[in-house]
Amino acid sequence: MKIGVPRGLYFYVYYPMWYGFFKSLGHDVVLSVPTNKDILNLGVSNAVDDICISVKVYHGHVKYLLDKRNVDYVFVPRVVSEDKYRYTCPKLAAMPDLIKSAFNKDSERILSVNMYMNQGKKPLLDAFGKIGEKLGASVKSVKKAVKEAMGYQEKAVKCLRKGHNFAEIVKNIRNLDKLFDEPVKERRYNVALAGFPYDIYDGYMNGDVIKHLEEANVRVVITDMLNPKLYKHYTKYMIKDLFWHQANVAAKGGMYYMDSKDIDGVITVSSFNCGIGAIYEKLLDLYSKETNKPLMHIVVDEQTGDAGLVTRIEAFIDLIRVKRGDGLVAS
Amino acid sequence: MPRKVTYVFPRMGYSYAAFESFFQILGYDVITPEPSNSQTLKRGVSNSPEGMCFPFKILLGQFLKVLEENPDKYFKIVSLESYGPCRFGYYSPLYAKILKDRGFDNFEIVNVEGIYPPWYRGIPRFFKKLIKLIGWHTPWTGVKAFLIAGWKVYAIEQLERKLYYLIPREKIVGSAEKAFNRAFERIHHAPNKVKAIKEVLNEELKRMDSVKHVENVELPKVGLVGEAYMLMDYSNNLEIEKKLAYMGVDVDRSLWVTNWTLDRIIKTKEHLNHMLEVNKGYLDFFIGGDGQESIMNTILYKQKGFDGVIQVLPFGCLPETVAKQILSNVSEDYDIPVLSLSFDEQTGEAGFITRIEAFVDMIKDRKAAKVGKKKSTTVASQ
Repeated sequence: MKIGVPRGLYFYVYYPMWYGFFKSLGHDVVLSVPTNKDILNLGVSNAVDDICISVKVYHGHVKYLLDKRNVDYVFVPRVVSEDKYRYTCPKLAAMPDLIKSAFNKDSERILSVNMYMNQGKKPLLDAFGKIGEKLGASVKSVKKAVKEAMGYQEKAVKCLRKGHNFAEIVKNIRNLDKLFDEPVKERRYNVALAGFPYDIYDGYMNGDVIKHLEEANVRVVITDMLNPKLYKHYTKYMIKDLFWHQANVAAKGGMYYMDSKDIDGVITVSSFNCGIGAIYEKLLDLYSKETNKPLMHIVVDEQTGDAGLVTRIEAFIDLIRVKRGDGLVAS
Repeated sequence: MPRKVTYVFPRMGYSYAAFESFFQILGYDVITPEPSNSQTLKRGVSNSPEGMCFPFKILLGQFLKVLEENPDKYFKIVSLESYGPCRFGYYSPLYAKILKDRGFDNFEIVNVEGIYPPWYRGIPRFFKKLIKLIGWHTPWTGVKAFLIAGWKVYAIEQLERKLYYLIPREKIVGSAEKAFNRAFERIHHAPNKVKAIKEVLNEELKRMDSVKHVENVELPKVGLVGEAYMLMDYSNNLEIEKKLAYMGVDVDRSLWVTNWTLDRIIKTKEHLNHMLEVNKGYLDFFIGGDGQESIMNTILYKQKGFDGVIQVLPFGCLPETVAKQILSNVSEDYDIPVLSLSFDEQTGEAGFITRIEAFVDMIKDRKAAKVGKKKSTTVASQ
């Protein structure tokens, strides 16, 4: 069978796991194309108007896959929690319901299940067991597939920790070991991106921040590359842990990067009307006052023009160049 | 000598009277923030993060105004909050950080949180916070404070229900509101005894009943669902209930302080199961806030024979935005008109009135058409 996986939201975190699972069961994984104008338009016209752009884009990807006749199922999981007592935003927790409400006619072709990540093997076995049942796989093969899936995810996390970003992982999904052996390119400047993976890696949505930075000889590090153990102690500054796992990663990871000496500046990327973004941005704002690290917020929505963003990124690069004593970019 | 503290609490609708007596019984000074106005809103909006929820901005503005006006006092800011998918759970740390950043240091934030897992930490934390809120008193005083506050909330709600029943039926415009204001002030300043509150309530209910009005009229019925704070605070939803009532509509609000407390704190499990049962096929998961309630109450309103539902939400509210998308399906499947009104600091009163007027007109037409159909069928059968 052909299983469609939309290129949005948790695709940018758990794709290796899903890929490994479906591949082990002998199904083909069909990805939607990287976000483009048509996908965005499809999403905007199908989602409610005050929801964040990431969710709108996700609607577009799902619609794209549903429109493809040969895709049997579209995989829309409900990622409930990503750590013990750390959950996801209400919009994401209601994702399958939103998708079913938007594409009422195709609700039979939507494959959804509640997933609890990073809490051991049992919840994953339960979740994948349900999918396996629907796809007609035996219990034994599901167990094997889950093992393989977890192996893929572990390899991907290893690559992330080494400093490869997720876009590279998606490209080299068939050969993660090779990617792990490749060295990470060092550059003159280091800039950290803080935010949700699905905002940072979606190049069309955020005006290709990563590409523009790399062109200016900047090495980009991202908060999802950090091991959570490194920034545990920032709970004290935040008074109380945030309820949402990804927001914790963005806030604490951002603070960690602000404290580390070899990082020249931090940029947050979030989508307009992402409620949780407002909280971690404010926390980082207040923290940057204490550490004096350059900080810039990029908030994207469906009307964001590319030119304005490029100007802002260039200005930020000029700022870190001047701070290092390299002078402005020769024009 | 311990420093004398003054309490400030978030003002919500008419329930401030109950909060005031709660702290007075415990023997503390208390300052009630003013209802939202342009001054508090301006302060709140300019100091909070841009994408933060509207209630956060409103409350921050109210607290800021109180702190600015009383630089010589030491405040305990009460923040009731939960820990869940809704951003409500992270209000107090942000208040603390923002107010400190603005240079205030004469305050302390008391956040009373519900019990959340892990249990072995949650339960001690809850009691610690509770003691921080009420201070060291004999247990009886604490219980009495809760009891009296509860009774006052109940009494005020009874009066409010009566008011919205009377407004569309009154003969002299404004007479019901006048009676209500008088009754509210009497409850507000009633002596802190259950018996006294009961007496005042009964007396005032009778007095409100004697306002000249028409009984036995069939009016179109509109239910209000949405986010609790926006729904319950009249100064922020531009008195939507009163406006609807004056347009000749029977209004019913789905969330009151009493049923909110009952559902969320006392009978949590039953409430959650009930919601999942009603919402089956629309929203099958806990998303926090009042999103699930909005969907459930819309369905229940339809079953009770209401003619329309208005959803009140602050702009960018996470659970309500989800509910908004799903409500469009509920509206279609159950054949009930739903109007979603999102509020933010730029909401203008004139545009708002036009929208609800249009909605009320539509509902009245629909109702007339239905009644007309029934009549014509009876004529035909004769």
